[in-house]
Order: sequence, then C-alpha cells, then structure tokens
Amino acid sequence: MKKTGNLINKMLVFSLVVIIAMGGATSCKSKKKIAREKAEAEYQAKVVQAKKDLTAILNDETNWTLPEKKERLATIKSYNIDNQEVKDLIVKVEEKLKDEERQLAEEREKRKEQELTDQQRRKYSIIIYTLTDIAKAKSYDEANQQIEGTLNLYATPDVPVLIIISKENGYYDYDRPTTISKFMNYLKDKKEFKYDIESVKYDDQGKITELELIKK
Amino acid sequence: MKRITYLLILVFGLGIVSQSMAQDNLSPQRKQAIDSLALEKVKDLSKYISIIGDKETPWSEANRVIDRAEELFMQGSEMGVSSLVKPEIKYYPVRKYFERLMRLNYNKVEIEWYNIEYVSDLQRQPDGTYVGVITVFQKFKGYDKEGRLIYQDTTKKDITVYVKRKETQIGGRLIGFWDVLLGDIRVKETSL
Repeated sequence: MKKTGNLINKMLVFSLVVIIAMGGATSCKSKKKIAREKAEAEYQAKVVQAKKDLTAILNDETNWTLPEKKERLATIKSYNIDNQEVKDLIVKVEEKLKDEERQLAEEREKRKEQELTDQQRRKYSIIIYTLTDIAKAKSYDEANQQIEGTLNLYATPDVPVLIIISKENGYYDYDRPTTISKFMNYLKDKKEFKYDIESVKYDDQGKITELELIKK
Repeated sequence: MKRITYLLILVFGLGIVSQSMAQDNLSPQRKQAIDSLALEKVKDLSKYISIIGDKETPWSEANRVIDRAEELFMQGSEMGVSSLVKPEIKYYPVRKYFERLMRLNYNKVEIEWYNIEYVSDLQRQPDGTYVGVITVFQKFKGYDKEGRLIYQDTTKKDITVYVKRKETQIGGRLIGFWDVLLGDIRVKETSL
C-alpha cells in the first residue's frame, strides 16, 4: 500500500513538472509571437506613414521647408522598407526635391543679381543723371557749367569712355574710344544721351577711371 | 618636343584664323551695328555743320566743333560746294570748308541735312576696310539783318565712308573698335 502511495506521489510530481515545463514553453512561444506581431504592426505603420508622407511631399500638401522634407525623406530611406510602392515614391520625391533645390538656387541667384543690379543702378544713377543734364542743357553756358561740375566725378578729363555698339555671343564691338571731356562736349552738341552703363572703374578715391557705355 | 611645337603653332594659328574669320564673317546683327555707326557719324557731321554755320554759336564753341568735325574725316578729304548762281562746284579741304562756313556773309544761316541713307552698302574690301556711300540732302537758308531770306538751295551730296577694325590698349585691356572715317563729300545736284 505504501509502495502504491509512493508511486502515485512520484507520478503526481512528474505530471506537475511536465505541466510546469509545458506551461512555461507555451508562454515563451506566445511572447515571441506577440513581439513579432508587434514588430510587424509597427513596420506596417511605418509603411503606411511613409506612403502618406511621401505622397504629401509629392502633392505639395505639407508645410515643411525643403530641409524638413529632405530630413523626412532621409528618415524614410533609413527604414529600408521593402515595398515597391514606397521605393517608387522615394525615387519620385528625390527628383522633386532636386527640382525644388534647383529652383531655390535659381531664385537665390536671381535675387542676388537683382540686388546687384539695383545697387549698380543706384551707384550709376548719378553718372546717368549728370550726363543727361549736360545733354538737356538749354544753353552753352549751362552745359559748360554742368560739364565743369560733373568732371569732379572723374579722375581726369582724359578718363577713357568706351562705347559698345554691339554685344553678341560674348563678342564686343566698340566705337572709337574717346575721353570723358570730349564725350561730355559731344552730348552738349548732340543734345541727347542714349546709352546704358555697362561698367565703371573707380580709383581709391572713388573717382571714375573708366566708363563703359552701351548704345540703347 | 617637335610635336609640342607643331601643336602650339597649330593652336595659335587656329586662334588667329578664327579671330580673323570673326571679323570677315560678320553676323547680320554686327554688320547692322556697323552700318548704324557709320550713319550716326554722318548725322554727327550734320549736327556739327549746323552748329558751325549758326551765327548764334559762340566763337570758341564753333572752333571746338570744327576740331571735332575734322576728326570725322580721313586726312586730305574735301567737301564740294555748289551754288545756284555759279555753275562750277568748288572743292575745299574740310577744315577750310568749316572755317568758311563759320564766316559766311549772312546774318543768320540755317543748314539742315535730311534723307540721310546708304546709296551703296558697306562692302568689305581686300584690305579689310568696309567702304560705302551715304547720300544726304542739304537745305541751306541764308538771311539778312532784317531776317529776310536772301538765298536758299537744296543740294544732294554723296559721302564716302570707310570703316576699319582697329585695336587699342585701354586699362590693360585690348579693345577692338570700328573706326569710321568720312572721305570726300561730292555734290551730285543743286536745286532750289
């Protein structure tokens, strides 16, 4: 009887061990599955979000600046998403951002040129005004006074004046070079100033040492 | 070494040829710019003649303008002068013509040039000079002290123009320019 009781005890212990062992194994398997499912869900969420963001960038539906868009694209690319749709969208967005970058650079360059032209125009306006005033003078005396005053802007009365008559494919054709003094007298005689300023050279004192004009 | 020398000669040679071709084969736009430049010089002369002839022009200004006007001409150029009262046409060196014009025996003189245009387009000569002929009509009016018109005529004149490419150094830069010079001015017809 005692033997039977021992056997039953042993069997109970064994069963308990088996149950515990089996229970632990099942629990471990379930955790892994959950983790995998969680990872899969996270990945799918990333894919969905990536598609959403890339499409929004493509359709200009975001308020992001260009650096922000580039940063978002870099993050999406770092996910290495193995999805053809996402891959295609990445290619398109890369192209679009390159275009935007080019456009921005062009606009920046244009703005810079415009600022430069405005600066030059302001700088050159005194030259244009003074020369126009000589051409518009009502009498020889008035014109000669204008000439005398205007000569102060120039280093000497013999400062060269170059007049471009044609500019084509980087090839410049000039009229016979003259001096500022002769040119001012020419304006006095012709009574018209029909030129734009191409370039001006100055000395250290800010006086003009060379004037390059282009016929309008 | 020889190969390098030949290569350098070829490169420089091509440079010179292409530069000279750039002058020989002017694009229509460049040719037009040169045509306009020559025409502009004749218009400048027209303005100068009217200033020199104008009795209101101060003496010093008239003399300055004579210098500028003379610079428009080739050395030795002559100006034809005609009159309705004399059959012959007299030719004067341009400076002498301007000085005579300044001292004309009228109280007031009006000289106007109009219909200034090419009768013979600028054509390239073997030496590279472009030569053309521009025709002008000159209306001359002379008044006496009382402001009465005492003489007038209209003269058709032909002006030969020479345009040559030259180069000069300015501020360390080589500037290629077109030098326009006027030649003789010949009287073609004179009428009232």
